[in-house]
Amino acid sequence: MKKRNFLFQGLLVLVLVAIGAVMMVIGRGHTVYFDNRSLEYNGTNYDSLYKIEVYLGGSAEGEAVARLYDQERGMATQVGQSMTLTLVITPEDGGEEADPATYTIDLPYNMDGIVINLPAYLEGLPEEAYLTEFVPLVTEEPEEEIDLGGDMGLGDF
Amino acid sequence: MKKKQRGTFNLGRLLQNNIVPIMFLGICIVCFPLSGRSPAYLLNELVTRLGRNTFLVLSLLIPVMAGMGMNFAMTLGAMAGQIGLILVADWQIWGIPGIILAMIVSIPISILLGVFCGSMLNKAKGREMITSYIIAFFMTGVYQLVVLFMMGPIIPIAHDSLKLSRGFGIRNTVSLLNMRQALDNLLAINVMGVKIPVLTFLIIGVLCLVIIWFRRTKLGQDMRAVAQDMEVARDAGINVDRTRVLAIVISTVVAGFGMIIYLQNMGNFSTYNAHSQIGMFSIAALLVGGASVEKASIGNAFLGVILFHMMFIMAPDAATTITGDSMIGEYFRTFVSYGVITVALIMYETRKRRNRSQTGYLLALAQKEEEARGK
Repeated sequence: MKKRNFLFQGLLVLVLVAIGAVMMVIGRGHTVYFDNRSLEYNGTNYDSLYKIEVYLGGSAEGEAVARLYDQERGMATQVGQSMTLTLVITPEDGGEEADPATYTIDLPYNMDGIVINLPAYLEGLPEEAYLTEFVPLVTEEPEEEIDLGGDMGLGDF
Repeated sequence: MKKKQRGTFNLGRLLQNNIVPIMFLGICIVCFPLSGRSPAYLLNELVTRLGRNTFLVLSLLIPVMAGMGMNFAMTLGAMAGQIGLILVADWQIWGIPGIILAMIVSIPISILLGVFCGSMLNKAKGREMITSYIIAFFMTGVYQLVVLFMMGPIIPIAHDSLKLSRGFGIRNTVSLLNMRQALDNLLAINVMGVKIPVLTFLIIGVLCLVIIWFRRTKLGQDMRAVAQDMEVARDAGINVDRTRVLAIVISTVVAGFGMIIYLQNMGNFSTYNAHSQIGMFSIAALLVGGASVEKASIGNAFLGVILFHMMFIMAPDAATTITGDSMIGEYFRTFVSYGVITVALIMYETRKRRNRSQTGYLLALAQKEEEARGK
């Protein structure tokens, strides 16, 4: 009986650890920044496009998360390890909009903020060229005073 | 005649047993027109608070079942839940997965704290409530030590948005923006302007079913036996101490989950204070629902949350109407919360004494009768 209980408890721990591991993968959140900027890679210059409309998901329906003209940056949040987005591209001013195209981009687990250079990505450059980590600017802050309580519960419940 | 007498007695007893809920119902009825709030607003707030708090209040039922009274140390579970949320916020796990992961992380911490608390309470049998109350204060100090000094240098915290500018310790407020109301919004429906968090209520419903099922299990029966009489239970072969520890462990784990459900609804929490009053208010809510130190049901939990929060919602507005100062309402609801606990504890002791003297009287009568028969 004791052995069976021990086995059951061990199994329960394993199941919980497994669920935890799955949650860590499927729930990892990223902030993704889309750049429509020119880029130089291996001596070749890749120009920005006139306009890129970014839609999350597999179709260009609904509201675009970003409408990027030359040198502009957009932002979206994504939970999970990959991002599917649909792009509607207008290569030149006055030119015709291309048909919507859907792409799936893998997002590195260890990055909170990810910058994707869309012209580089669309040119088929390697990940190191189109994907960089977004590092927020560190600002000097005054020391925060710690509030350890002691108000005898006048707060809201 | 006899029948009528019994009927009157029962009504009196019914009123006496339910004096706290009746009192609160009275307060709510008086406050409602004074608050000037619409029924729709009241209902919306009430549904939100019912989803937010009921899980926490339900965590108190098991220790009552085991005869350990109100578990003021449910705060320990709340601390475990908060630690889970801090870690998950640092790991950047968002939405429902974040909530589930925080719950999983809180389990071992809650179990450890529960075992510690249960063992302490076993050393203070008969004085469980005051002991658990003090344990909660003591563990708050330990929690502050962990969060203020160990998070950063010992427990890795990567994000500067969580850390204090000195490089270690957690900021006063932890933002849960990325999982805010994730549970409440999933499967939520809108009925005539009232948002109903269906998934949260489903989870609460499952907990209710688990409690009902648990009462019928061997362990549940053991707990009830321990609550009736520890000596008799021990003679019957029940491991009394272990049963009591398990009751506290279960309560602590459920309280940890409850705190996570509560905080995901709020969207942020005060790192050092969020847990401090949760035990007090949850116990007050349960007592307002008509529970006592020795008897509490799921119905008491629901009724208590409804009545207590109706008062919480309406009191500041009603006080503003009467006195022109909303702060009076804040004081009012706080002193009523503490007052309810005091009244319930006094009533419990009075009833216990009355029952004891009644038993003594009956015993004396029986003895006299026997003596008369012997003569």
